Amino acid sequence: MVRALQDPSEVIDLIQDKLPALFFVFGRAKCEELAIELSRQWDFLYADEKEKVQQIIASAEADHPDMFVHRDRAILKKLLLQGIGYHHAGLSPALKRIVERLYESRLIWVLFCTETFAAGVNFPAASAVFESCRKWDGREFRSLLNREFFQMAGRAGRRGFDEQGYVYIQISEDHPEETGFFKESGVEMVHGRLTVSANTVLSLLMWKTDEEIEHFLKSNFSAFQKRRRLKDVTDKIMKINNTIREMSAYYCEERDSTSCPLLHKKLKREMHRLKSRKYRQRPGSQTRIKEIQRLLKSLAKKKCQQDRCFEATAVIREMNSKLDMLQLKKKQLGIEARQYTVDFQKMRRLLERLGYIKGRELLPRGKFALHLHIQEIFVTELVFSGLIDEMPADVVAGVLAGVDYVPGRREYVQVPPYDFDAVNQLRAELMEMGVPQEYMVWSPVPGYLAHAWYNGKDFDHLLENSSLQEGDLVSIIRRTIDLLRQLEKAAEGNLSLQEKIRGIRRTLDRDQVAVLF
Amino acid sequence: MSDKKVINMGDRRRKQGKGRLLKHKGYPQLKRRPVRKAAAPIAPTGPIQLDDFQVEAIEAVLAGRNVLVAAPTGTGKTMIAEKLAEKVMGEGMGLIYTSPLKALSNQKFSDFKEMFGDKRVGLVTGDITINGDAPLTVMTTEIFRNKCFEDLEDLHNIAYVVFDEIHYLDDPHRGTAWEESILFAPPHINILGLSATVPNVKEVATWIAEVRNTDVLVVEERERAVPLEINWVSPDNYILNESQAKRRVKKLIEKRKEEIQQLRTRGRKKYYR
Repeated sequence: MVRALQDPSEVIDLIQDKLPALFFVFGRAKCEELAIELSRQWDFLYADEKEKVQQIIASAEADHPDMFVHRDRAILKKLLLQGIGYHHAGLSPALKRIVERLYESRLIWVLFCTETFAAGVNFPAASAVFESCRKWDGREFRSLLNREFFQMAGRAGRRGFDEQGYVYIQISEDHPEETGFFKESGVEMVHGRLTVSANTVLSLLMWKTDEEIEHFLKSNFSAFQKRRRLKDVTDKIMKINNTIREMSAYYCEERDSTSCPLLHKKLKREMHRLKSRKYRQRPGSQTRIKEIQRLLKSLAKKKCQQDRCFEATAVIREMNSKLDMLQLKKKQLGIEARQYTVDFQKMRRLLERLGYIKGRELLPRGKFALHLHIQEIFVTELVFSGLIDEMPADVVAGVLAGVDYVPGRREYVQVPPYDFDAVNQLRAELMEMGVPQEYMVWSPVPGYLAHAWYNGKDFDHLLENSSLQEGDLVSIIRRTIDLLRQLEKAAEGNLSLQEKIRGIRRTLDRDQVAVLF
Repeated sequence: MSDKKVINMGDRRRKQGKGRLLKHKGYPQLKRRPVRKAAAPIAPTGPIQLDDFQVEAIEAVLAGRNVLVAAPTGTGKTMIAEKLAEKVMGEGMGLIYTSPLKALSNQKFSDFKEMFGDKRVGLVTGDITINGDAPLTVMTTEIFRNKCFEDLEDLHNIAYVVFDEIHYLDDPHRGTAWEESILFAPPHINILGLSATVPNVKEVATWIAEVRNTDVLVVEERERAVPLEINWVSPDNYILNESQAKRRVKKLIEKRKEEIQQLRTRGRKKYYR
């Protein structure tokens, strides 16, 4: 079911004395739609302010003449003249900068933005509104963490100016269960998230001693936390053992001996049962009855501290079951604390099998991959299989753009005008050699864009041939440039390859995707 | 019920006599204007007086200690790094400022350039290098991590590394670079970590202290510079406090269940007819 958008006009009406407001929205399209919706009813700027906005826009347009031309950005210009803006990763860097500048100049009164606007940069507001508390985290829809919520909500309240920051969470009529209730005391702990990549293993082998590697594997934050918990568990186990020992002191001397009054009772109970109709006829019953009778006669009757003994038994029984659980946990934590050593060995074996290392020595492939920080194995194989050498430069740009790229849902890009079977062939071969999928993440989807950009096509052409937004295109090309830089460094000693790579990088780094300060 | 005002939109409009609908040149339709003074208010640009936690942290870094500062957003953590940068650069040493996101690096680069001048500030990310030899370089955590492995000689003049938003350690994609940096940053480099408030900052500090074999001072500020008031907005545009919102949500969920139930039964009848 498509979720109906709540008109922001009425919420803004409620909080109109608490502007500027950051309106957090999880979804770019929704960001834009809500801004447009608000602009139908509201205008926040006076004539002189509109003039200022006009000026700022004009001076920005002098540098980037077509910044408001792409897609529906003409609407954004209109919105900005009404003191309304939107800001998300789909915008071109130039547009993002102008929105930020206008916001800082207090010329935007309501800004619809995604989470990125709250990351670190200092853009306080009088209030923060949450359109919803549910976001897509790349894998699934989930509710915001307390930490994430307060990172954003904390933008409300300008230091030295507002006495209070106001935060508003919208309750949706269609999905009321998604309403967030957050507590600052419930902010989540930070956990270690280290992963052992091919580069990690190669770097360790290349630069670090065995001792340092050991230190790394055993002292990283996750292992540290596991060790701390392990210590907690061990302490608990010790405490419980102590309690058990203490409680056992309440047993009287006769316990477990034939003269224990409790045993007396127990035997009587057993006899009673055996005499019942159900058990009477069973073989052996009669003999046992006789035996018990004999025992009972021989037992000395004694007064005892029954209650304390009973209590102790109950406590000890409980403690023992706790102890079992803790022992299990201890075992588990012990395994987890060693996880990094296991991961390291696994990766090391894979690299050895693929011919990247021999013992501690880095072979040519290993030395090459040492300079790569993304999909190291796959990219190295692209080079060592000769594909990068053979393919024309524009195809190389296209293929590299797809490294580590996972296309979004409903994402469309023109099919690349070159044959990329060889790349898929290589991946299939690697898979047969036992390289796991996650070490060769690649997609042909962004290929067309980098290919066309290399061949001098303009930005409009890229926009026309894909469903992606300006910001996405810039980020795809910049990621490719990043990878090309890594390759250039890795290819040291191979002049022709280095030359080729550098050429591609320089060709890509131009016009709208070039970073300007 | 609390004493929080529950204002209906209609009421409010009457009370404040708003909805001054003004006509604009070029905009034929009438639009609402907010109630406000003629000019946009100018918020003060920076805190005039430093908070206790800032003073404590600044003193500690100026004394050359490893410090982990945890404070809510907007309380002025960057100020501490700025004071440190002034001192370090004044002594002819270098400082590295790392941020977990590239977008942040760019922003910080611009900020620092304004503060210390173009020549004294550099930026290094995977795809850009500007003025890489400057005494103050802004870089992504990944780049710093790489230097800790490969380009150790680049770091010999660095007195401090600042880890901004250090709680990003918890990020499944970025956490690794951050941890490897802390484990392998050369021992002569001191650390200033800036973090949002997380319940186990002390644990993070203990870990850093342990792996780097040094003292780490934790400076914590739990109070927000500006306190937050959280409210909820109902579908019919009332402002609700927490308990009201919870009641409302409960009702709405029940209503929603009924609706779905009705839709189902209706659907079935239709089907059988």
